[in-house]
Amino acid sequence: MTRSILAAMLVVLAASGARADDLVSGLSQDQIQITSSYTGTDIVVFGAIQSADPSAASGDHDIVVVVRGPGAEMVVRRKVRVAGVWINRDAMTLSGLPAYYFVASNRPLKDIAIDETRERYQLGLETLEPLSESTHSPAKAEPFRLAAIRERAREGLYRETPTAVEFLSYSLFRVRVPVPATVPRGEYTAEVYLFRDGSVISAQTTPLYVDQAGLERKVFSFAHGEPLLYGLAAVLMALLLGWLASVVFRQPG
Amino acid sequence: MEIYLPIAEMSVHWLIILALGTAVGLVSGMFGISGGFLLTPILIFYGIPSPIAVATTASHMTASSMSGAIAQWRKRAIDFKMAAVMLAGGFAGTGVGVWWFALMRAKGQTDLVVSVSYVVLLGVIGGIMLNESVRALRAARAGTVEPARRGGQHNWIHGLPFKMRFRDSRLYISVIPPLALGFFVGVLSAVMGVGGGFMLVPAMIYLLRMPTNVVVGTSLVQILCVTAATTILQSVNNYSVDIVLALVLIVGGVIGAQFGTRLATRLRGEQLRLILALLILGVALRLLYGLIATPDDLYSLQVSTP
Repeated sequence: MTRSILAAMLVVLAASGARADDLVSGLSQDQIQITSSYTGTDIVVFGAIQSADPSAASGDHDIVVVVRGPGAEMVVRRKVRVAGVWINRDAMTLSGLPAYYFVASNRPLKDIAIDETRERYQLGLETLEPLSESTHSPAKAEPFRLAAIRERAREGLYRETPTAVEFLSYSLFRVRVPVPATVPRGEYTAEVYLFRDGSVISAQTTPLYVDQAGLERKVFSFAHGEPLLYGLAAVLMALLLGWLASVVFRQPG
Repeated sequence: MEIYLPIAEMSVHWLIILALGTAVGLVSGMFGISGGFLLTPILIFYGIPSPIAVATTASHMTASSMSGAIAQWRKRAIDFKMAAVMLAGGFAGTGVGVWWFALMRAKGQTDLVVSVSYVVLLGVIGGIMLNESVRALRAARAGTVEPARRGGQHNWIHGLPFKMRFRDSRLYISVIPPLALGFFVGVLSAVMGVGGGFMLVPAMIYLLRMPTNVVVGTSLVQILCVTAATTILQSVNNYSVDIVLALVLIVGGVIGAQFGTRLATRLRGEQLRLILALLILGVALRLLYGLIATPDDLYSLQVSTP
């Protein structure tokens, strides 16, 4: 895989003309297929910076890579102790937070850009905001937003790795993006931002599709498309296996 | 070896799931119960979301009660008329249970409802069984014999109206108690993912006073039909039956049940009941701990992707 990525990187490099500080990037694969043996995978985002001024020091550039999943609806609940038992009491629905979020950079995001810039592009876990205007006061909503981010990070679905962008040469970079087994299906985007002196001077977005394939896809669409037939099929399978067991293991006498 | 579950949308070690199915099958074969009360919490501990654990366990129990019911049917040990009456109540109970489960899921109280019902039910049943088996063991050691219950005793149940004759059970009783019993077990099946055999069998013996030889077969028919209905209703209402998970569990379960049945013949009845009582109380205590221990994070998240 590494060799094919390097080959692809060379093609990308060769194809790009020399312009003012610019960015070219690509993905090791543009779709992830979830099959019965799927246990998570890594994709590689790679690219190159093209400096208008080749004599400029490479140190001025920063690269931030973001992989974002489809928007999800999240219900965050807070437990309260009632008569010794913890029960869910307050709930808040946050929509528009990505189902998956990965951000990597070559140095800590805070050193790359000021808060406003990072918030505009949603770079960094704490900058993720739900889409809809909440009817709740910000002070009340804030702990719920943070809890959602914390919980997603614990499940490995939100991740911030400040030093994961590797520079292979002064202009060539790559980052390995872990995609865990629990990622939801949908359309993802891989965004690459080129920063110079704290501002974005170039950006590129590439789509990435995650979908179930083969039997898994068939089972899932069967269960949701024809739930009654699916339930009957599940019962039939159970009855057949139960009957088979009673025949195979029939006690003599 | 990992396998991806298309409905749970997660991957699991299929050998671990097979082993879980086999272990629960072993227990169910040993004690003549469907084992749902063990399987559902074990799946939840393993990380399967509780709606999927509850719904998928139902289809696992359909398979195990099917093989058991066939064996009983060969022995002509089923009272189909009694089973039909209990089922009328059972289907109604399942419908109410699945509807209520969907409501609780929307309110985010699924885990609480499942855990609390388990703690209460298993605590009570386990306590009664522990008490009874310890007393029986002591009596056996002291050499005294517990007085056997005489048949034909009358209790409050015989005062109820709508009487019906059940020839295979040699009973002439009101249809209300079997209907109510079926309804109650139907609700439990939908809400907790249990077959209810561990409640049905004692209730049929002590409450309905059915002869012991038809009790197990009749309760298996009831469990078979109620869990089949639960599987279908959960599929339709909650899309929560994972057929791949069910397949692995069933294969393990039917194998385990065969060994369990053989193992059971080597142990004495009181010892068997003592072990089962401790098992039930253990599960209840573990779930109780989960309810009262301070969680690591007070916030929890439920995600749906359109």
